[in-house]
Amino acid sequence: MNEVIIMNAVEIKDLYKSYEKGKIKALNGINLTIKEGEFVSIIGPSGSGKSTLLNMLGALDIPDSGKINVAGKDLKSDKKLNKFRSEQIGFIFQLHNLIPNITVRENIEIPMYTQKLSSSKMKERALKLLEDVGLYDKADILPSKLSGGERQRVAIARALANNPSIILADEPTGSLDSKTSNKILKLLIDLHKDKKVTLIIVTHDMNVAKLANRFIEVLDGEIINPNSDKSLINNQINI
Amino acid sequence: MSFLKFIIKNPFRRKNSAIMSIIGIAIGIIVIVALGGITDGLINTFEDTIHAGGADFSIAGKETGNSAFGTNTIDSSWTDKIKTVPGVDEAYPIYVVLTSIGDDYMKTLIGVNSNGTGLADISVKEGRIFKDNANEVIIGNIYAEDNDYKIGDTIKIDGENFEVVGISETGDQSMASGVFTSLSKVQDLMDNEDSISNIYVKVKKGEDAKKVADRIDKKYGDDIQTITSVMEMGQMAKMLNMLQASTWAISLLAIIIGGLGIINTMLMSVFERTREIGVLKAVGWSNTKILTMIIGESLVITIVSAIIGSIIGYYACVILAPYMKITPLFTPKIFIQAFVIAIIVGIIGGLYPAIKAVKLPPTEALRYE
Ligand SMILES: Nc1ncnc2c1ncn2[C@@H]1O[C@H](COP(=O)(O)OP(=O)(O)OP(=O)(O)O)[C@@H](O)[C@H]1O
Ligand SMILES: [Mg+2]
Repeated sequence: MNEVIIMNAVEIKDLYKSYEKGKIKALNGINLTIKEGEFVSIIGPSGSGKSTLLNMLGALDIPDSGKINVAGKDLKSDKKLNKFRSEQIGFIFQLHNLIPNITVRENIEIPMYTQKLSSSKMKERALKLLEDVGLYDKADILPSKLSGGERQRVAIARALANNPSIILADEPTGSLDSKTSNKILKLLIDLHKDKKVTLIIVTHDMNVAKLANRFIEVLDGEIINPNSDKSLINNQINI
Repeated sequence: MSFLKFIIKNPFRRKNSAIMSIIGIAIGIIVIVALGGITDGLINTFEDTIHAGGADFSIAGKETGNSAFGTNTIDSSWTDKIKTVPGVDEAYPIYVVLTSIGDDYMKTLIGVNSNGTGLADISVKEGRIFKDNANEVIIGNIYAEDNDYKIGDTIKIDGENFEVVGISETGDQSMASGVFTSLSKVQDLMDNEDSISNIYVKVKKGEDAKKVADRIDKKYGDDIQTITSVMEMGQMAKMLNMLQASTWAISLLAIIIGGLGIINTMLMSVFERTREIGVLKAVGWSNTKILTMIIGESLVITIVSAIIGSIIGYYACVILAPYMKITPLFTPKIFIQAFVIAIIVGIIGGLYPAIKAVKLPPTEALRYE
């Protein structure tokens, strides 16, 4: 039997990114490796560069210098970043960002437009995902009729629409109360285990950060616990 | 849900704004369709008139003034003289008189050569052509209908009995209510052997009718005159062309205003949906897809406008036409034109907002509050 080779989901070397013509140094030499199927949290104060880092991982932004390889793709040379995002990445944002005039199910179908799927196939897949996040019976209502937690569940289902290999969540529970927040996190973690997706969560809540296999602390665009790679922390928190 | 359905749904998120743009563009389309129908209708009527009788202009005696069917006569020998004028293809005499016909105390009786090209356009629908110098008439179909005349009926003209031998049909109003007999018969009735009232002139192909008429005026101006009414038709043609040009100018203005309206609506829409566009990019939508979506939404608005505008424009014209004494003419061309314009406005109006949406960096779009 062959040995299972675990690939790296993320490989980052000396990554720099600045805004406003170099005045704002958002990322200041980031080095980071994340294995496939890992659950990693990124923590740090506001303005430290967490979202910038996450956006780099999701190919929403291009670094000034350094190397970045995500899901086996060199993002600096890849010309079809939208295709990469569509196939490999599922984004979840602090605000659900659902489209208001279409139903919950139709919102989940939005990422599927990049694939060549029939309407019925899209519907089938969307309903399956809604079942996964426990909202099957809310498929045909508008997002405005949902609670904050439910909307975030829909956003999670949308992130999973194209079977991504990596889920990038930027403060997914940032606007939820702690009880709802815990439920959402549990759902995310369960899905990550079930579907064997790499899960990367940005947060500034240490309680959330600690749920991960390991957490990365960012300050002023640098990782300040570089050894976190080796020091896998134990997940002791009950949710 | 299909991508197309999504595109169709989107413009109606902000109903008021969508309705305002639709009204704006629909007004433009109404103008295009209604004015188009009226102008085409006028041109059509005018073309019927100008080709009636097949003449380019006519000639009458000097004193008859502006009346084409004047009572003053000229000698029939003028016909041959006119034929020799360069540029003249054909010249044929007619004799128009006012006399009592049937119940009408005064009605025009038109005498034409039965063999001549004369009023060849009076195509006989029923019956036959009259014989020379016989008490026979051909009547226009409208006149026949109005007076319930059939072939074989007798009409009293100037005290004599005439037999209806043919009924003619023509699109031209004045012809359809006319009464025609042979030139010689009219001359006979008038005791005016060698007289005619008018000569109808047809110019050679490629000749300018106005120039030929001028030539005749110059040569024989002392005795006869060319009747300007046909010439006035030329002026009417110019007027119609101007009307057509102004229709286009008004349409263009309507299009520009409508186009600016749609650019504004779509820009607002893109601006309001900045975060959403960021999300679409984040879930992997290509720039082409986003461009297609925005231009598609713009097209939805303009096509809906074209449908509404065409319907309103058509019915407005049909309802108002009788009051304006105009017969509008609606050909598919007008509606095709309206839709092509709507589509062009939709694409141009949506293009700039769509490019704006595409150029939006996704991270900034997502940071947008
Ligand atoms: N598109 C941009 N244009 C200009 N400056 C930016 C842009 N994106 C981020 N920045 C700046 O880069 C720095 C890092 O921003 P980033 O959003 O990554 O911080 P963060 O750690 O996610 O903060 P928060 O916890 O508040 O979300 C900040 O100073 C921010 O103002
Ligand atoms: Mg952030």
